[in-house]
Amino acid sequence: MAAVLALSLGSEDPILRVLTLGAALAVVATRRRAGARLRPVLVAVGGIALLTVIFNLLLSHTGATVLVTLPAWLPAVGGALTLEGAAYGLDLAAGLAACVVAGISLSLVIEPFQMVDSLPGFLSRTGAALGAAMTLVPRLGRSFGSVREAQQMRGWQPHGLRSWTAVVVPAVLTTIEGSVLLAESMEARAFGSGHRTASAGPGWRTTDVVIAGTSAAVLVTFIAALGFGQVPVWHPYPALTLPSLGWWPFLTCLGLFVPAFLG
Amino acid sequence: MSNFARFEQFGYRYPDSVAPTLDGITLQFEPGLTLLTGSTGSGKSTLLRTLNGLVPHFHGGQAWGRAWVLNRDLRTTSTRQLAREVAMVFQEPESQMVMATAGREVAFGPENLGLSRAEIGARVVAGLEAMGIPELAHRRIATLSGGQRQRVALAAALAMRPRLLVLDEPTSQLDDSGAERLREACQGLVSQGLAVVVAEHRPWRVDGRGSHRLELEHGSLAPPGRAGPESAPPPTRTKRNAGRIAWQAEGLSVGHQEPVVSNIDLSCREGEVVCLTGTNGSGKTTLLRTLAGLLPPLSGTIQRYPGRRSYLPQEPGGVLHQASLWEEVRQTIRWLDLRATPWPILEEFQLTALAATDPRDLSTGQRQRAALAAVLVGAPKLVFLDEPTRGADAESRQMLIRVLERLAGEGSAILVATSDSLFARQIGDRVSELESGQLREVRERAA
Repeated sequence: MAAVLALSLGSEDPILRVLTLGAALAVVATRRRAGARLRPVLVAVGGIALLTVIFNLLLSHTGATVLVTLPAWLPAVGGALTLEGAAYGLDLAAGLAACVVAGISLSLVIEPFQMVDSLPGFLSRTGAALGAAMTLVPRLGRSFGSVREAQQMRGWQPHGLRSWTAVVVPAVLTTIEGSVLLAESMEARAFGSGHRTASAGPGWRTTDVVIAGTSAAVLVTFIAALGFGQVPVWHPYPALTLPSLGWWPFLTCLGLFVPAFLG
Repeated sequence: MSNFARFEQFGYRYPDSVAPTLDGITLQFEPGLTLLTGSTGSGKSTLLRTLNGLVPHFHGGQAWGRAWVLNRDLRTTSTRQLAREVAMVFQEPESQMVMATAGREVAFGPENLGLSRAEIGARVVAGLEAMGIPELAHRRIATLSGGQRQRVALAAALAMRPRLLVLDEPTSQLDDSGAERLREACQGLVSQGLAVVVAEHRPWRVDGRGSHRLELEHGSLAPPGRAGPESAPPPTRTKRNAGRIAWQAEGLSVGHQEPVVSNIDLSCREGEVVCLTGTNGSGKTTLLRTLAGLLPPLSGTIQRYPGRRSYLPQEPGGVLHQASLWEEVRQTIRWLDLRATPWPILEEFQLTALAATDPRDLSTGQRQRAALAAVLVGAPKLVFLDEPTRGADAESRQMLIRVLERLAGEGSAILVATSDSLFARQIGDRVSELESGQLREVRERAA
């Protein structure tokens, strides 16, 4: 996850961002655990990406290639909508989507308890916090679905953004309450009270070591590429230009696909 | 040791709360089974949480007086220390699951005790056996029913081999066999000279010979010797006159992907109360949700008479989001454009004094009543209730019975999925039991 975040945020180069997004999606698609659903993630990420492009296109008003001009009296969106604005929006969307997929991949690829088990004893509290955090998204998803159907049976109907508070508020509150109870439950079962035995066996398999090693290598190599000025700089304003290919970061980025090809 | 816990003038107030939840508590918990009773909101769950130090160490707030648990001063002993000898099962089992499968969930506590893998394995097997669910060891928690999760939570507590076992409404979603298993497990601990403290609205389900009884009332101990809560089932009543068919299912199979209930016929008439019972995990909730129109049937047909449907989910917190209880009921009235005010239904559930309270500040039992008031306001034609007596004390159950009797009298067709067989006998004109995916009518009320 750290490697994907570094590559997505450390450069604005669209080639790297698209590659990173592709790698993150490939890892989630091939390594997600049994029962983890990919479709809601793709829908959410697609929605976020689309909104990013639309917002940047409507609000930037900068760039040489004007696609259309909206009336000036329109607040915020009035003015020129440019090809450069759309291109930069796409670039931002790819970076953002890669970060979101990397974050969500934690809960799709591994179980929360694997986080608890796999970290060394002195990091057990951190593992527990991460494990609990990982359950938040799926819990919220389940809560959202059940609250929505219960409210619909009470007569709620969606009409405008504001009406969704009747679903979102109880779903979020229920999820938060659940997380507090989960923390209580862990505390009440002596978690963190001393040496812990992981009864499911060693947490790290050979594949896990290879994945962790590759990701660390990608991270270090990319940081080195940044330090040596080898990561291309791309900016679409004032006039759109094609991105240039930096071979060092490009090859580094390919390393992110390794987990997708491991058995 | 003469006692397992001792409280002297103990009191506690939650953060941001004006009134204390516990006040002036002086008592001792002796070896054996102690039944803690009291109406919803009387402070039972809070008192139980003091027995492993979650109150005050986890929740913060202000505590006064003195308390010792297993001879340790509560003020200076953390929950993590106490948890090595005090096991607790909370009221909402669905929210306390840490691991992905039932077996790993039961192992979680023993793992934290640093036991050997062999010992952990043995305890997991014993815990699951004690609760009668060895076949669930490899099942994912997400696929378990509410009652099955409650059994897993209890197995997890037993696997800790505690000196003091604390149970908060442990049978709220258990079927009769699960409750019997729990009663036996508690008696086993008691026979070893250990202590079990249980808050339970249906005390006869866990009661054994020689149990101690304590009653809480508004955060303090009720005077000894006064009439305790209901200890035996109240009588049932006679059959109502039912009208035309309100909904009817034929050849119905339900499930998420695989059928859990196959090829059944079931109907409900206006003015009739039908109760669905069955063992934990038998598919009651899935069938109820399908009949309510929330899940598509796998096969078969459902015909419903047109009219307002009202539905209470198993987790009632999901329907509560307004700033006050009054607003919560008012919201349903607004959404459905009903000609009603919140007051009559709040009065029926004895919630008028709490009308200005945020529903999320209520106890579990009060929340259940609040959610019932919010979904039952007005005159729904088709009523679908999932475990409506969860967390309900004897008085709340009677209130619910009165409301359902009124609705049935006004022509509502009511379907209740419940693991509370007593409630089913009290309210159901017909009681149908789900067993191995089939429906069996077990009782029809005499005319």
